[in-house]
Amino acid sequence: MIDLEILRAGPESGDILLLIHGINPVSPKAPFVADLARTRRIIAPSHPGFGASPLPPDFDTMYDLVNVYLDVLDSLPGTRIAVAGFGFGGWIAAELAVAGHPKLHRLILIDAVGIKIGGREDRDIVHMFNTNPVELDRRAWHDPAKRPAGIYGLGWQAAIGDDMTDDEMIALARNWDSLCLFAWRPHMFNPRLKDWLHRIHVPTLVLWGESDRIVTPDYGRHYASLIPDAVFETIPQAGHHPELEQPAAFIASVERFLS
Amino acid sequence: MTSIELWNHCENPYPFVPAEVLDAAESVRASLPNKYCDPDIAARLYDEIFEEYQLCDDLGLHIVTNEHHSGINNLWAASPVITGIVARITKKVRILSLGTLITVRPDPVRVATEYATIDVISRGRLDIGFVKSGATEMVSGDANPMRIREREWEAIDLIEKSLTSHDGPFSWEGKFFTHPHVNIWPRPYQQPRPEFWAATSDMPTCAELGRRGIVNTLLFGGYDRTRQAFEAYKQARHAAGLPAPKEDRFSYMAFCYVGDTDEEAFRIGQKIPWFLTVSIKSAPQMSKFQPGQFPPEMAPAAWRAGSSKRPTNLTVEALIAQGQMFAGNPDTVVKQIKAFRERVGGVGRIIMMTRQGLVTHAEAMKSFNLTANEVLPQLRDLPPVEERAAAE
Repeated sequence: MIDLEILRAGPESGDILLLIHGINPVSPKAPFVADLARTRRIIAPSHPGFGASPLPPDFDTMYDLVNVYLDVLDSLPGTRIAVAGFGFGGWIAAELAVAGHPKLHRLILIDAVGIKIGGREDRDIVHMFNTNPVELDRRAWHDPAKRPAGIYGLGWQAAIGDDMTDDEMIALARNWDSLCLFAWRPHMFNPRLKDWLHRIHVPTLVLWGESDRIVTPDYGRHYASLIPDAVFETIPQAGHHPELEQPAAFIASVERFLS
Repeated sequence: MTSIELWNHCENPYPFVPAEVLDAAESVRASLPNKYCDPDIAARLYDEIFEEYQLCDDLGLHIVTNEHHSGINNLWAASPVITGIVARITKKVRILSLGTLITVRPDPVRVATEYATIDVISRGRLDIGFVKSGATEMVSGDANPMRIREREWEAIDLIEKSLTSHDGPFSWEGKFFTHPHVNIWPRPYQQPRPEFWAATSDMPTCAELGRRGIVNTLLFGGYDRTRQAFEAYKQARHAAGLPAPKEDRFSYMAFCYVGDTDEEAFRIGQKIPWFLTVSIKSAPQMSKFQPGQFPPEMAPAAWRAGSSKRPTNLTVEALIAQGQMFAGNPDTVVKQIKAFRERVGGVGRIIMMTRQGLVTHAEAMKSFNLTANEVLPQLRDLPPVEERAAAE
């Protein structure tokens, strides 16, 4: 297994919840992490090329990332692991569940990308690298003015100011580069994934920010309809990052599903 | 002794979109609607510039074409198409395609086929230039901006092998490109292949150009950056035990206008910086926030307030002082080019960007005549730079 930076939190004896991050690694400062870690063992790796995880020279496909996370599941103790994927990480989580792993016990997809639903001239997913960051910021948050300080979601470029350190900028740049490497084209989806979502055999929750205009709740509803018996829920007053914008409602949905 | 070659490069700009449209646009490249491009005006521009190239052919000024996409800065769009036409309408001078954007083209074998065809049509007058590109070109061409340096080198390798393999199909299964059956027709006119150039100031790339003996051209690099790039080239050859490069391995592109008087040249030359003040405006997602634009460690310098602002008041005098423009009467321009050559440690091929910005067809034709008749003769048989420096 390759080296990965891993954020660990919560009691070692707790049920494992593997968090698969989106455009940036899960921040240890995010309140939702501490809330989940009260009873659960949180494992949140940084993907290769993100955070402090090295990027092997030839890695550049979703295939690489899915196999990395199959390795991660192999390495974790226990037999009943829940996996939650956010945005781009939701795509990884969906691919992982299609590939299947005996330890994978529950699946949560949060504002996930990864599939193509609309027609060839319909853009399901806003192009993250070809959209003005101000517009990304506007579309990614229910209320951009209230986005948490020091924790960066889509449109992070709009938050650049004198209060951001050089190290934060360097980390954001590296994450952005790596995201692009894996997801430039086709942009944020696998054209074949949609037809294989029926292979997901674990209970699945598809959770969506009601105000997400990066990938809309309708997209999420359609995504859920392709996964056998998946439950679809929305979180009010939240955009693409409901775990950051409405952590209490997010935790409530997750705990209800996992308990 | 060195004789400096002069090359004419025109990007075929389209400076006819109303200023209020350009001011309001997020980007004048990649996303400006093509309703602002009048095909009749474009047709006239193509006619005028092909006529300029025919004059250059008569005068002994070599010709450069390139391509950019979806913007007011450049109407060439497909360098092999334009270069093919230039090959047919000229008879004597060399033609450099600098170049088709190989990091955007999905099939280098097709690129090799296009260039071999042009080389045959021109009866061996083609030089092939490679540019890595980036920025707005990545969205215009839907090309992943990450790992383009590696992709560029693999494309160059495959193009070179396509041009130089003559014994039937070969197979290629690389990191970025695969092709099971490469066998281009026609094969190139020049043997073993046309000269290769590359436009870069990226030091590791300059070093690799040195090891391969590819002509290194700098665009508007100014004195220091250009000297450093050429030094990287020379040092890489030295370290590899290869012979020292001649000056024809080094090229430099600058704005240029030659007039009857300095006053006239400065007045008309002032129409050229439009290229930098207007035509490079691009959206932040296509510039400073585009992945791969620079190593992550450089992000703070690039992103903090005040960085990467577009220049708005570039004067001819400032551009000349920075070594980014040669302008004046013929003797003035000769002095500027000779001084530049000394300061960068030797350069054998000067590419002049003259028909740029708001410069007119008539103004360009006048400059080319003066350049060929009164500047070029004074740049022949120059003493070697290093030798002269030693003598002094």
